[in-house]
Amino acid sequence: MDFLGTTSLGLLRAVPVTVLLFLASALGASLVAAVLVAMQQARVTQGLARAWIFVFRGTPLLLQIFMVYYGIAALGPIRHGFLWPAFREPLFCAWLAMTCCCSAYIAEVLRGALGAIPVGQIEAALACGMGRWTRLRLIVAPQVLRLALPAYGNELVMMIKSTSLASSITVLDVTGVAQQVIAHSYRTLDVFCLAAAVYLGMTAALTAVLRRIERSLDPLGSARR
Amino acid sequence: MIQTSPSVLSARGITKSFGGRAVLRGIDLDAQRGDVVTILGGSGSGKSTFLRCLNLLELPDAGTIEIAGTLAPLAHDRHGKARIANPKALNALRAKTAMVFQNFNLWSHMTVLDNVIAAPVHVHGVPRAQAVDRAHGLLEKVGMAGFAGHWPRQLSGGQQQRVAIARALATDPDLMLFDEPTSALDPERVREVLDLMRALAGEGRTMLIVTHEMAFARDVSSHVVHVRDGVIESVGPPSMMFGPDASPVFRAFLSPA
Repeated sequence: MDFLGTTSLGLLRAVPVTVLLFLASALGASLVAAVLVAMQQARVTQGLARAWIFVFRGTPLLLQIFMVYYGIAALGPIRHGFLWPAFREPLFCAWLAMTCCCSAYIAEVLRGALGAIPVGQIEAALACGMGRWTRLRLIVAPQVLRLALPAYGNELVMMIKSTSLASSITVLDVTGVAQQVIAHSYRTLDVFCLAAAVYLGMTAALTAVLRRIERSLDPLGSARR
Repeated sequence: MIQTSPSVLSARGITKSFGGRAVLRGIDLDAQRGDVVTILGGSGSGKSTFLRCLNLLELPDAGTIEIAGTLAPLAHDRHGKARIANPKALNALRAKTAMVFQNFNLWSHMTVLDNVIAAPVHVHGVPRAQAVDRAHGLLEKVGMAGFAGHWPRQLSGGQQQRVAIARALATDPDLMLFDEPTSALDPERVREVLDLMRALAGEGRTMLIVTHEMAFARDVSSHVVHVRDGVIESVGPPSMMFGPDASPVFRAFLSPA
């Protein structure tokens, strides 16, 4: 096989690493974001949630990844504690940093959607005596999902691309493999172009999935008109 | 269900201010089973606020509310600020009532049918199949049979309001609260909603209606209440309120010179 063929194959073999990091971070960040939004509803926890968002949204993801991998993972108690098996893995460190960082963005997306729910629909739920959890499950959550989806999808696309930063701490994801190949072949442009094409494929797939979800939530298609 | 007392609503001394401005300055109101009470008044008179205090969408600053034998769980903190004493009891109270809003407030992510069965199934624990059966009957009653699978935004305002009324009827409430139910409708749609409400009144539903529809109030009410500046200025049966013995203030409200 020629150089481009083997390189493509090598890059594709790294896709599972990128996808795993993306899916795990998306899940983690979404869960943390939901907790952050819940915290913002109560006065006692509001400050902590705001501080979290301020810090993680206001500092570069690359720095956060470095801090986890080179900083926290090097601390004595971590190094010799029970968490070491996790922190010695660069993939875990990248996941942790991405979860924290992206949770801040997603929390803001969810908060915006929460504020956009028409007050009258909440009042209608209150007026018929729905309890807090029923209201959340039946009215608030589905509406937040629908209102947040476009911005949330945007966030997810950003996250796929952000996973490439993990290569800076030795994770062999698509970008990591590309750099490896370049290191011994010196064919910078064509290898990076191939890697970019692989990312394009992944974001295209994600966009297609998101569009399907958006359609299923909006059966009349008013959003597309 | 047999009620020991026919009293469905007893509100006493309801006051409410917003940011230091007194909107309600002590309102008492009673309703017996089957009463249709219309509440009239100029804009800013406090009539909608009063209605919203009854199911505690607004928290009254003071006063007591009893609906179908259940006392509203109102309490005050040490600064005298009103608060809910018991959220469960509040939901139980609200579950005895139903509200029809000016802007319909159908849940936009649910079909017409799901809107109607939501409260019976998820608040009252009615089995779904039974709730669906009843919902179809109610939709037919409000003239919306065949729309069960539609989405709220596919409907006209009048249709949405009729669905909202079916939703309100679905739990067989002791007390129905109507907050300017026709004010957001095109003139030609007002009638279809008023006719429906007239039919409900004829069935002996206990209804409290904030409205600007004077003819409707005159024809349908058992009592007409005139609210002005946060107090009840005058109250009486329509024959009195729309007759020569009405208070001059109310007459001036009806036909401003």
